[in-house]
Amino acid sequence: MVKMSLDPMQVMSGQVKELKRSPSSNGDTRGSWEEKEEFDPNQLDLTVKPKTPKPENAVTVAVSSRVLFRTEREQKVFEQKGVEEYLRYQIEHENEPFAPGPAFAFVKALETVNSRLRELYPQSEELFDIVLVTYNHAHVGIRLINTINHHNLFIERFCMTGGSSPIGYLKAWHTNLYLSADAEKVREALGEGIAAATMFMLEKMTEVSESQLRVAFDGDAVLFSDESERIFKTHGLDKFFEHEKENEDRLLDHGPLKGFLEALGKLQKKFYAKGQRLDCPIRTYLVTARSAASSGIRALKTLRAWGLEIDEALFLAGAPKGPMLEKIRPHIYFDDQMFHVEGAAEMGTIAAHVPYGIAQKYNSQHKMSTGK
Amino acid sequence: MVSTVQNTDVKQKDVGQAVVVAVSFAAVFEAEPGDARSGYRLGVALPLLQVLQKVNERLLEENPAEHQLFDIILITTDSWQQQQSFSIINSTRRHGLEVSRFCFSKEEDFIESLMQNNVQLFLTTDGNEALQATQQGVPSALLDKNLASCPSEQLRVLFCEDAIIQPHAGSTAASKKSAQQSFLAQLGQIRQKFGMFNSPVCFTLVTSRGGKDSCCSTLKSLRALGVSVDEAYCLGGAPRGPFLSLLRPHLLLSDGFTQLDG
Repeated sequence: MVKMSLDPMQVMSGQVKELKRSPSSNGDTRGSWEEKEEFDPNQLDLTVKPKTPKPENAVTVAVSSRVLFRTEREQKVFEQKGVEEYLRYQIEHENEPFAPGPAFAFVKALETVNSRLRELYPQSEELFDIVLVTYNHAHVGIRLINTINHHNLFIERFCMTGGSSPIGYLKAWHTNLYLSADAEKVREALGEGIAAATMFMLEKMTEVSESQLRVAFDGDAVLFSDESERIFKTHGLDKFFEHEKENEDRLLDHGPLKGFLEALGKLQKKFYAKGQRLDCPIRTYLVTARSAASSGIRALKTLRAWGLEIDEALFLAGAPKGPMLEKIRPHIYFDDQMFHVEGAAEMGTIAAHVPYGIAQKYNSQHKMSTGK
Repeated sequence: MVSTVQNTDVKQKDVGQAVVVAVSFAAVFEAEPGDARSGYRLGVALPLLQVLQKVNERLLEENPAEHQLFDIILITTDSWQQQQSFSIINSTRRHGLEVSRFCFSKEEDFIESLMQNNVQLFLTTDGNEALQATQQGVPSALLDKNLASCPSEQLRVLFCEDAIIQPHAGSTAASKKSAQQSFLAQLGQIRQKFGMFNSPVCFTLVTSRGGKDSCCSTLKSLRALGVSVDEAYCLGGAPRGPFLSLLRPHLLLSDGFTQLDG
């Protein structure tokens, strides 16, 4: 058994990375592929709009138009009358903004964190950057831009792929998290190592904080790999406990959302560095079915070894997650099991499904609308 | 002096209605090392020419009486190449290129040959030629090896945010603008002949600088010209390179079409 060091991993440096550019080749044959100029803030209009960060410096959240806004009516037109009629409808209603969708509150909260970060670090590019990524046709573009303006969202980047897969673009944006209504696309993104989750239209949404971003995560198959869940599913609860006890000092492998928690932690540390730990506008939660006294220990040790702090760890020992989440009121809750996602949604919690790991084989037919 | 040779293998297009695209010889053929008898290797313009031919085929499928087709002509001012005219024409035939005419002229007359042939778009790998043509009011674009290099079923045209000249004073600017706009309008009309899916033509807008509002106004300007953009990418200052390599356009139109090299 490997003796695990409990020393926290090196805290990530808060330095802004210098963008490395390859030196110009001789002659003019470079073509237009690479921008030679840096983004010039003087090109912005005079209403002081904040500068957009370089993708690799920011925590990039790519959101699909179908989860940022409510587009069910338009989806129906598409399904019932076909694409030409759908596009005609969109153009006709171009000046009518869409209503907020399930990811809207989360995106607004990201912007709140950005304002706080800009106050403390005016030159830093370590911010959230929101990119609208949709495989909608550019015909819908004008309506989407009008909607963004109507809701005062600060989104200056988007990809409308007109039907082609957005996955390549996610990588070009150095995407840290991708939210979509389409489970297939989400699975594809996960397969490419990009944290991703499917969101659904909610009939009821409880109010969430306007001053503090709250992000909640399930443990197994979300922050951690699904290795323990596999034991549970194939051999039952007793075997699971036994396995966890035996392996208490062995780190769990990482899951698809670990990187996103890490990115959040890095931003949190920027607030702590300025003495704002108590007033930090980012708060993270672990909401797990593991038990505090037994199987939870391995989870905590793993997080500590990764150098990740989580603000609140809630070990439910198998109790339903709904009531706990209702108290937390996260802007988004990530879980790999549809059963929990649905349960949370019934109580008005904004929950997103991470279609990863062994639980996908056991997911019951979910009755939720897929945000269409 | 300008001389034009018709390619008898290819049915001549209706010059009044066709979209005449002139390609410089050097963009289509690279001379093989050694002697000219070994013929010419195909250059960077090949994927574009092939896909223009595909678009023509699809246009004729939709309407066998279609006249608004791409009419491809080859142009060269190189006197040595002109002496090889027979071998040029042969190479064209051999590679199955649907070039309808070959224009040979002296360097100082090449703009005249573009005008005489009612050229609406001039494609070249030579920056100076492109600049000259644009200044004289013939929209032109630079081809380079970074553009699409594989065979494809779809013509991908990429507009950058400065693809549409904003109005300003000066008669050259006005004629530049109207030639460019009329070319864009023609492209738009060709696109309209196909549906949303399975179209052999795809228009993409990429705005690198400026934010969503400048992208929005470019979408509207293009729409006003009759160009419905299929895909749009607003980069908000992010570097273009990674996106261009994903998009792999055949044609990149920017700043009145002469590609600025930074």
